[in-house]
Amino acid sequence: MALKALDIYKLLPKKNCKECGDPTCLTFAMKLAGGKADVDLCPYLDDNAKSVLGASTRPPIRLVKVGVGERNFKVGEETVLYRHEKTFYHPPGIVFKVDDTQPDEEIAAITRRVRDDTLTRVGSELRFNGIAIENTSGSAERFAHAVSVVEQQQAHLPPVLITTDPAALSAALVHCGSYRPLLHAATSGNFKEMCSLAKLHGCPLVVRADTAEGLVRLVKDCTAEGIQDLVLDSAPENLGAFLVRSTQVRQLAITRAVPEFGYPVYLDCEKTGFQDAGLVLGISKYASVIVTRPLTPGPAKAALTLRQNIYTDPQKPIQMTPGLYRVGTPDKNAPVLMTVNFSLTFFTLQGYLETSRVPCFMLIVDTEGLSVLTAVAAGKLNEGLVRDTLKKFSVENEVTHRKLIIPGYAAPISGRVEEATGWKVLVGPRDAAEIGDYLHETWKKEAGA
Amino acid sequence: MTYDLAFGWTGTIGTVTLGATKADGGSRKVSWQIGGGTTLPFMEPPPSSPSPLIAFEICDNPDYWSPIIRNYCGDIVSSPAEWAKAAEQSYGADIVRLYLTSTKARNFSDIASVGKTLEAVLGATGLPLIIEGSNEPKIDSEVFLKCGEAGQGEKLLLGTAEAGRYRSIAAAALAYNHAIIAQSPIDINLAKQLNILLREIGVQRDHIVIDPYTGSLGYGFEYSYSAMERIRFSALKGDADLAMPMICSPADTLTIKEVREADAKDIDDVAIAWEFYTGLAAAAAGAEIICVRHPKTIGMLRAAFADMKKLPAAAEVR
Ligand code: B12
Ligand code: SF4
Repeated sequence: MALKALDIYKLLPKKNCKECGDPTCLTFAMKLAGGKADVDLCPYLDDNAKSVLGASTRPPIRLVKVGVGERNFKVGEETVLYRHEKTFYHPPGIVFKVDDTQPDEEIAAITRRVRDDTLTRVGSELRFNGIAIENTSGSAERFAHAVSVVEQQQAHLPPVLITTDPAALSAALVHCGSYRPLLHAATSGNFKEMCSLAKLHGCPLVVRADTAEGLVRLVKDCTAEGIQDLVLDSAPENLGAFLVRSTQVRQLAITRAVPEFGYPVYLDCEKTGFQDAGLVLGISKYASVIVTRPLTPGPAKAALTLRQNIYTDPQKPIQMTPGLYRVGTPDKNAPVLMTVNFSLTFFTLQGYLETSRVPCFMLIVDTEGLSVLTAVAAGKLNEGLVRDTLKKFSVENEVTHRKLIIPGYAAPISGRVEEATGWKVLVGPRDAAEIGDYLHETWKKEAGA
Repeated sequence: MTYDLAFGWTGTIGTVTLGATKADGGSRKVSWQIGGGTTLPFMEPPPSSPSPLIAFEICDNPDYWSPIIRNYCGDIVSSPAEWAKAAEQSYGADIVRLYLTSTKARNFSDIASVGKTLEAVLGATGLPLIIEGSNEPKIDSEVFLKCGEAGQGEKLLLGTAEAGRYRSIAAAALAYNHAIIAQSPIDINLAKQLNILLREIGVQRDHIVIDPYTGSLGYGFEYSYSAMERIRFSALKGDADLAMPMICSPADTLTIKEVREADAKDIDDVAIAWEFYTGLAAAAAGAEIICVRHPKTIGMLRAAFADMKKLPAAAEVR
């Protein structure tokens, strides 16, 4: 039941006061129609307009921000069930969990690890997102102390506070209340107290119930208390329950069939009994906040990579701008290596070139983001493209030789490239891992010749 | 108000039988039927769809295999029969996938040895088999005919047919009643086209397993995942030419940078994680045979699949 921009405009105050951040009521109406703004941004709406617009213009899944500062993360605002229909927008925050019964040093070490660990892939820095502290001890003081240990590391990570005891939560919030921690969880038993703490500190709140009916009721209860930033925990007791409930929530939310499901989903992998499988399914099947025990190097890298893959739009490969790139400070005799503008290819090759310590030029041609093999197979990597790119970036002014190293997988076009460019073409290895040896041996001989 | 999911699918994934027991004229201890799904993966109410099968990959010339696996499995890798036996008895696989890597050797011509290897493997394990022939077009048809013949009656799964080279595999499959793997490069239309080509030369739909090509995690998996989902949905929407079960075969996993160059102390951990994360995500996208090379990935996948089959009592998905 999406409203058109003009219908929405009719309901707006038409003051053009700009307080919503838009220059006019009409432009604000257009944003609302596209699901790109929140009705609450206009302070002058009457109740009737609010209720009509609220239901039909807000994004089907609310955007919820967890944490503050540089490491905050935003989740929600997804629009599809299958990524090929459009794409997934907001990658899940993956947070490492500690118990408040763990020794301080352990808690501190895990916090620092989340603060510092990064995996660089395809030019992006991939990181875990926060620290969850669980009130395993049952003691409010111990819980508050554990949270203070996390905060003392100056990591500025979004905290997730896990306790159903409002007293413990209240004690913990003394240490991190102004950092927008995610509170877990409001249940049918405690939601009033949890809501008042969430309101007092302006925090997002997880609601937990193990049935669809229970979740819907809790969402109604909490929104009635004035809490908007909710996250849903369907308390899956196994992986099957997670798959079904998470799919249910996503599907019924995006079709707006059950507006109470229009919030991001929370998953504590440990509660399913399967840490790695929980991560895989959480990432691919709609979880937005994923809580896990600290991961060993293998699963840590695999989880970050899977998240990057699932949240990359397959319609738009990540691309480099074509051009002449330098590795080190190459001189006029330095080798020139040609490759494609698919980011994964570029960064893989660049990594090995840096390790080889041979200063060189990388000539990036525009294959519209296709890898070498794919571009050759699709006919996108051809002699005309190579000739034009050499010209466009005036490579002949950068080096005195006329020798171009092409990828091993581009061997089929080597003859034609030689003809079209007048440059001598050297076919390099297929695997970029061998480029160091190649430059040290074959290129050296070639350059001396 | 009900919160059940209703997708209104009209199609069903076709079934394929792998392996023949004595009763069916073979010598396998078990025979598997895959396919039959009517909705999203893992959302069928029990017992209508089985868990995905876990295939353990071995080869007959380990020079072409990852050193991670050679180190982990030990000397056994030089005997395909011993290795296949371990796959069944120690590692707990559902299927053994034998790559005839010996055919990659320069000027390979000992076709008889291929038949002998297959016979030895058939004798060593009671599991159904997948056979990967040569990638060499020149010897393809001889290799496949030999395999087809040596495995006659066993309901093998022969791989891998591609658009440019499918005739020799199809011929062997047709002559000896085996099923075949049809691979296309991550493209739903190409997958469909190849299935049609195969049908035109007489391969029945219930003898085809689709391989939509699995790019490794970090190296193309973002495409493979969606290709699998799209094939599954097209099938459920009623496209019979795509309504075959799928195989996930992430063959490059152990050679990508992150795995190959991992610290020695972590290398098994990384290899297993890479296989597990890829295989499980592919299963969630609809793949029904998951291939792995590290023995330790098998148990992890099996436990996860069993848990994914546990549905909450009230759930209904149509
Ligand atoms: C993901 C993928 C796709 C994605 C595209 C990804 C992309 N952005 O390019 C999609 C799904 C779109 C796709 C499409 C196609 N694909 Co495709 N695809 C792949 C896959 C699985 C991975 C590619 C990849 O990301 N590789 C990783 C990058 C880093 O590799 P790379 O660019 O080659 O770089 C390496 C080396 O070349 C080297 N290197 C790079 N630069 C340089 C430079 C120098 C100087 C040197 C020395 C070395 C060097 O270093 C890198 C690391 O070693 C491959 C299979 C595979 N294992 O390669 C098939 C593959 C490349 N695709 C294939 C095909 C046929 C196609 C299609 C033509 C199919 C079709 N008709 O639709 C289309 C073409 C695209 C189009 N028409 O638009 C075939 C190619 C067959 C062949 N041997 O020619 C492959 C091999 C799959 C197969 N076995 O069938 N594909
Ligand atoms: S704040 Fe409200 S009244 Fe003011 S311009 Fe925006 S929509 Fe119009």
